[in-house]
Amino acid sequence: MYNVRLIETLSLIMIVTSMAAVESQNLKRATTAYCIQALLICGLILTFAVGNPALYAWAAVALVTKAVITPWLLLHYIGKTGEKEVRAIIGFGPSVLLVSAVLIASYGLTHRYVHFLAPTVQATEGAFRTNLAVSMTVFALGLYAILSRRDAIKTVIGLCLLENAIHLSLVSLAPELRETALVGIATEVVITVAMLLYVIAGIREQIGTTDTFEMSELHW
Amino acid sequence: MPEVPSLLPLAICVVPAVLAILAYPLARLSRPLGPVLNLLGAGAALVLSVLLMVHAVQGRVLVSLSRELRADALSALLVLAISGVALATAIYAFPYMRLQPLLDRVSHAAGEDVTRRRLAGFYALSLAFLTTMLWACLTNNIIMLYVAVEASTIASGLLVAFYWDRRSLEAAYKYLLLLTVGIAFALFGCVLLYASAAPYISGEGGVRGMLITDLAQVAVHIRPGIALLIISFFIVGFGTKAGIAPFHPWLPDAHAEAPSTISALLSGVMIKMAIYALARTLLIFFPVAAYSPVSLFLIVLAAFTMLLGGVMCLAQDDLKRMLAYSSVSQIGYIVLGIGLAGVGFGHSAGYLGGYGGLFHLLNHALCKATLFLAVGAIIYCMAGTRRMSELGGLARRMPVTAVMFFIAAFAISGMPPFNGFWSKLTLYLAAAKAELWWALAIAVLTSVLTLIAFIRAGYLVFWNDGNGQANEIEVRDAPLAMAIPMGILAALCVVIGLYPQLVHPLLDPAARVLASVF
Repeated sequence: MYNVRLIETLSLIMIVTSMAAVESQNLKRATTAYCIQALLICGLILTFAVGNPALYAWAAVALVTKAVITPWLLLHYIGKTGEKEVRAIIGFGPSVLLVSAVLIASYGLTHRYVHFLAPTVQATEGAFRTNLAVSMTVFALGLYAILSRRDAIKTVIGLCLLENAIHLSLVSLAPELRETALVGIATEVVITVAMLLYVIAGIREQIGTTDTFEMSELHW
Repeated sequence: MPEVPSLLPLAICVVPAVLAILAYPLARLSRPLGPVLNLLGAGAALVLSVLLMVHAVQGRVLVSLSRELRADALSALLVLAISGVALATAIYAFPYMRLQPLLDRVSHAAGEDVTRRRLAGFYALSLAFLTTMLWACLTNNIIMLYVAVEASTIASGLLVAFYWDRRSLEAAYKYLLLLTVGIAFALFGCVLLYASAAPYISGEGGVRGMLITDLAQVAVHIRPGIALLIISFFIVGFGTKAGIAPFHPWLPDAHAEAPSTISALLSGVMIKMAIYALARTLLIFFPVAAYSPVSLFLIVLAAFTMLLGGVMCLAQDDLKRMLAYSSVSQIGYIVLGIGLAGVGFGHSAGYLGGYGGLFHLLNHALCKATLFLAVGAIIYCMAGTRRMSELGGLARRMPVTAVMFFIAAFAISGMPPFNGFWSKLTLYLAAAKAELWWALAIAVLTSVLTLIAFIRAGYLVFWNDGNGQANEIEVRDAPLAMAIPMGILAALCVVIGLYPQLVHPLLDPAARVLASVF
């Protein structure tokens, strides 16, 4: 029923956009990579909507929240703080190597040992299996960004990757249920992202940077 | 348990929500309206919660909106605790939010007009925060449980950043980021659970994929490996929100930097709401015996949390951070109770653990709210000073606050004749009955550490005359409207301590839900 090849292509490109969002040291380019990923996930939801028309509503909402509002918010606050990311804990070269290792490990392991993770038989087959592996990989990359980046805006981009990963697994694991669209819409984190960016802008006003290492007033 | 359709659970969510929407514009129009609406919202929630509790005590489970909202005895207990503490903080907020040092701190950072806007926002967000906590404890929908818990983070994020200075913003950033990342794990767990139940979901009139009660019916079909993964995600996700170690680093910062009324809500009830969410989601799986290692893991986490919180509590000089670490430690006791309920699931040992955990949940809500309100009074009567090393000799100048502080401090340390003694004793007995001697030893040791930490704090703040700034500042005790809510909460600590059987009708059915003993 589903266009398997299209689903797998869109899904696998999500890994590339995640890497670009994490590794790009220019925050605007990282936002662009995130925006492309948001469009990809909208495309994926639309592809699944063939079998469940309720998903069209989620695709429309995701387009607005993920691909329009979130990038707009990110660009708006990046405009105030400057495009260049605060130097990360790990240098560019080692970070690319580390990201590649995370990618290979999480994709390889989840794809190979999908039975430990897949809640249904369908999820262990074809495009569903690929999507589950991609989802875990994007989730791992999002966590990596949050843990390894000193720039507060980059950690927000990491958070957005986590959300996309969860939504990819949601649409792949239960595409035929009517409630799935509602679940997807209800769990959009755009308000949290807006609030985090608002607080980060306040921090920048106070300490002149978005470097989380400079946030050192509170210890233990 | 018979389910009775009722509008009561819906009303408990809707009334404060409507007032939250009205609060901002009305408080902007007239400044005194903000605290009045806050009081109305919390007061109405408490009245409705008492009515809900009456139904729960009589063995009825109320449901609204086609079982989307469901209030059993466990929900009713949490809702009562949340609205009770919210009412105390709403009364306290009347004088507290008008204190000059507080207003100076805000206007110093923002200016007069922004201060007015921020105060209006404070009351609107306080009511929204209350609504989200009540909603989380009443929803029967697994996804809405996630949404309500996340919404409570959103509603309280700006309250943590209320002063909008370097410290509060830093705390708010950590609070929002760590809790959202943590809760993302819970969402992943919810999605996996939802998808796992999908094959067993029948459309019309059958099992519905998002209702917790319906998921519990099909949980037996979920493969144990996947179930353990889901449970792990729930423990990380809701455990982060609850402040369970090692997911707790946001807690001392947020609880210490927020205004004291919000600290009382965060420490007094919000972390309990997260414990409720964890218990409610774990209950979906618990009829299956294969999950008893999960309970043991929870007990290990609880012991680690207790001990870490207790040790860190001793190392603090900042009074509010000390209270925050004490909350980490006391959450450990509550998780110990939940874990013991799981270990002895379906038996009297499990019931005793669940009973002790819920009793301590209720007691900690009362004690910690009292302590944060007392410390709030000290800080602002002392022009913002909150370092114990800079305070001293306040016993004579703030006798009422001192009495409240010591009642709550001894209660939380598990000293007789206060309420904390009974809940800790119940937990010790449950641990002994489960033959978990190491957990019992750590629980007793942590109680001793807590007592030492509070005696040290009490001595430095109230008696130690030598190094106090109190000698230089003209200090008056807390005004009546601040003393009354502290007094009511402290009096409850004493009354429950002297007559613990008073709360038995509330705790017994809730513990039966938790340990599934019927």
